Amino acid sequence: MKTVSITVNGWKHNVEAPGDTPLLWIIRDHLGLTGTKYGCGVGICGACTIHEKGEAVRSCQISALEADGSEFTTIEGLSKNGDHPCQKAWIEEDVSQCGFCQPGMIMTAAALLETNKKPDDNAIDDAMSASVCRCGTYFRMRKAIKRASEVMSK
Amino acid sequence: MTTDPKPNRREFIRNISSAGAGLILAINLPRSGRAFSAAPAKEFAPSAYLSISPDNKITIWVTRSEMGQGVRTALPMMIADELEADWKTIVLKQASSGGKFAGIRLRTSGSGSIYGTWTPLRTAGAAARTMLKRAAASRWRVPEERLRAENGRIVDKETGMRLTYGELCEEAAGLPVPENPKLKSPSEFRYIGKRVLRVDSPDIVTGRAIFGQDLSVPGMKHAVIEHAPRFGGKPLKWNEEQVLAIPGVRTVVPVTLGIKQGIAVVADTLWTAMKARDELKVSWEYGTDAEFSTDAYRTSLQEALKGTGYRTREEGDPDTALRNSRKTLSAVYEYPFQSHSPLETMNCIARFDKDLCEVWSGTQTPDVASILISRQFGFPEDKITVHTPLIGGGFGRRLFADQILETVEIANSAGVPVKVFWTRADDTRDGFFQPFSICEMKASVEDGSVKAVTHRTASSDHSMSGPPLKDLKRYIDLLAPWGAYDSPYLIPAYRAEYFHIDAPVPTGPWRAVWYPQNVFARECFLDEIAAELGKDPLEFRMELLDGPDLDLNGTIIRRKALRNVLKLAAAKAGWGSPTGARRGRGIACNIYRGASLMAQIAEVSVNGKNEIKVDRIVCAVECGQVVNPLGLEGQIESGIVWGLSAALKGEITFKNGAAEQSSYGDFDVLRMNEMPVVEVFTVPSTERPQGIGEPPVVPVAPAVSNAVFAATGKRLRKLPLRL
Ligand code: FES
Ligand code: FES
Repeated sequence: MKTVSITVNGWKHNVEAPGDTPLLWIIRDHLGLTGTKYGCGVGICGACTIHEKGEAVRSCQISALEADGSEFTTIEGLSKNGDHPCQKAWIEEDVSQCGFCQPGMIMTAAALLETNKKPDDNAIDDAMSASVCRCGTYFRMRKAIKRASEVMSK
Repeated sequence: MTTDPKPNRREFIRNISSAGAGLILAINLPRSGRAFSAAPAKEFAPSAYLSISPDNKITIWVTRSEMGQGVRTALPMMIADELEADWKTIVLKQASSGGKFAGIRLRTSGSGSIYGTWTPLRTAGAAARTMLKRAAASRWRVPEERLRAENGRIVDKETGMRLTYGELCEEAAGLPVPENPKLKSPSEFRYIGKRVLRVDSPDIVTGRAIFGQDLSVPGMKHAVIEHAPRFGGKPLKWNEEQVLAIPGVRTVVPVTLGIKQGIAVVADTLWTAMKARDELKVSWEYGTDAEFSTDAYRTSLQEALKGTGYRTREEGDPDTALRNSRKTLSAVYEYPFQSHSPLETMNCIARFDKDLCEVWSGTQTPDVASILISRQFGFPEDKITVHTPLIGGGFGRRLFADQILETVEIANSAGVPVKVFWTRADDTRDGFFQPFSICEMKASVEDGSVKAVTHRTASSDHSMSGPPLKDLKRYIDLLAPWGAYDSPYLIPAYRAEYFHIDAPVPTGPWRAVWYPQNVFARECFLDEIAAELGKDPLEFRMELLDGPDLDLNGTIIRRKALRNVLKLAAAKAGWGSPTGARRGRGIACNIYRGASLMAQIAEVSVNGKNEIKVDRIVCAVECGQVVNPLGLEGQIESGIVWGLSAALKGEITFKNGAAEQSSYGDFDVLRMNEMPVVEVFTVPSTERPQGIGEPPVVPVAPAVSNAVFAATGKRLRKLPLRL
């Protein structure tokens, strides 16, 4: 057992857990923030995507020890009122089907738009294609990213 | 900090501004006995589907599982429309098994949610509206005909008097429920046919939406299961003491009721359970099933096809026609095992509370699960409740209650509430796969036309439980093989033949069930015949559909309507216009169990490395009245992606009785960079709505394969398509 100190969505937590516990489970099981999902546990689906210093990272691939002392943002902390341009665009374009992949997708897209306010299709493909949506909502996701980009680059 | 002690009490209140509707959403039906008698005194609850309280709150119960197909939006739309309810005042609750829903279907399958609830839900809404109107008429002492129901109120056109439903609910509750209330005509629809946004979106995009994976109950322990690595394995012995010695591990118990036998490790946290399972060493006893391989199975199907199968449809004399034909074509099409691989892996919570058994699981079948639990554990059915949270993808996988039964089994033997969790590898290796199949096609082609076709399919069954009865009548009743039995084409001599070859692989309904493999063969082979005859693939189909509708034991094959759908797709896709080098268009169509009619045209390009890229898919559909066009288009986009994943990406192969794949790494699915443009066109209709979850999957692979032929001249007869 180790005590690790991590900051999530602006709140600092000291968590007792085995040092090799993936950050994903710290966030879900210890902090009770279940918006970040387990899809594969091996870094290939993107369902567990969160932000570290504004960058998209896969929380299933970061151990508690590695996370010690760092700051993260999860889908619950992306915006105060659920009104990040991506969240709004996702609703307006009716992207979600089962919805399970969408928190990870939104976090990935939001990180993209932080560095590239007006991504073209190639940039969107590059950022999003390492993530899986088994329901196949990619067509609307692309529209939503463009819609959010319009708002953010204004 | 922990979360979520009482999942059944969680309620979320959200606003949906862009839908113009502030829906209040609630998850899970609060545990209650018979709701009719237990309902608070003044509530108006004329059916199990809805209730209205004096404070004008309208509660609608959703009686299908939400797994992305939009039932939690579309089903309430149908009730609210007939009820003339104000969308903003509606509270949604998810029906759990038992209680007032005993005897009401909750099972979500066969693209049947809208089709199956169209009449009962509208009738429930209309009955309530009629009763509220009657209540107002008697309060005001005016003729009922004068009154109108309007957005949550009864209005007297002449006096301008109005009362909310809440104000009328006490009197309405005293009236008899009309059995055949007058339903609205399509021109009166308020919500049906409108583009309504998904009600769960605000929760989904903020991470507040609760899936089975996210639930917990007080005192719950976490279990992962080591299922037998190879088919038919039985655990002989295992290092229980060693695993029990790991801090945080509570028990190690055998499991017999899941998809396979196994050993469960139950621990305080999920991570502890997962790590402890790594230390588990089990020796297994195996039989011959443990030798199963796809390669050997392929050989046994090929062998079987040399004999005679179940001839479910036979017209004319195809044998003679083929024997005497100057020109015959033959081709063999192969379709691999496929996994559902929903993004949310299997999971379930079960707890026994005094004499009650309560389960939470993303299941397509809470009603059947209750019955199975009751049978298995001798527990009275009315003491079992299965709650259905949002589901991270079902696609047929969650029609099976294996994860529920094994969880109840573990909770029962461990004596504590237990949450079972499957890892991605667990989920990929052990599923109810789409069966591997081989279709052997033959045609006699003479004098510029096709004289005979035989379509012979060998595969294992989609058996839901136990060994299937193998006889001709059963397969005719099943319309087997789907797509061959109900082929819409007019061919002078035709035979559909099915060979059932057992495999130890659990198989089950995978989105579109039996159609994809057979329609892949049928529609591609039709292209081969067209090419042989030098005919345009669209024109050739139109010719073969130029005839009267076909009645196959009550399944009506509407040929003329299918021609219209083909025409619509062709016009929108620019069929016949030049595509450029190494580019091509392919067409395919299908009628889904005599209901939804669909045609798709795929446009593909092939690059210098011989990689296939699908650029655009145009889809035309006739499926009756569309309840929510936004939902319909979403389902078609989704079904097309599903079909493309199968056409271009993954397959499951078996060796030594085990799947060789374990994640999206080796069973890959379509990604964003491979997503084509999708265009959907609907033939307007006010007929009863038909299913749309599965039909779009079916034409994808043949349309793409036919397009590859148009682009390269190469005929691909095996999925995944590779040049
Ligand atoms: S769960 Fe982390 S990438 Fe899939
Ligand atoms: S919406 Fe279901 S996995 Fe993406």
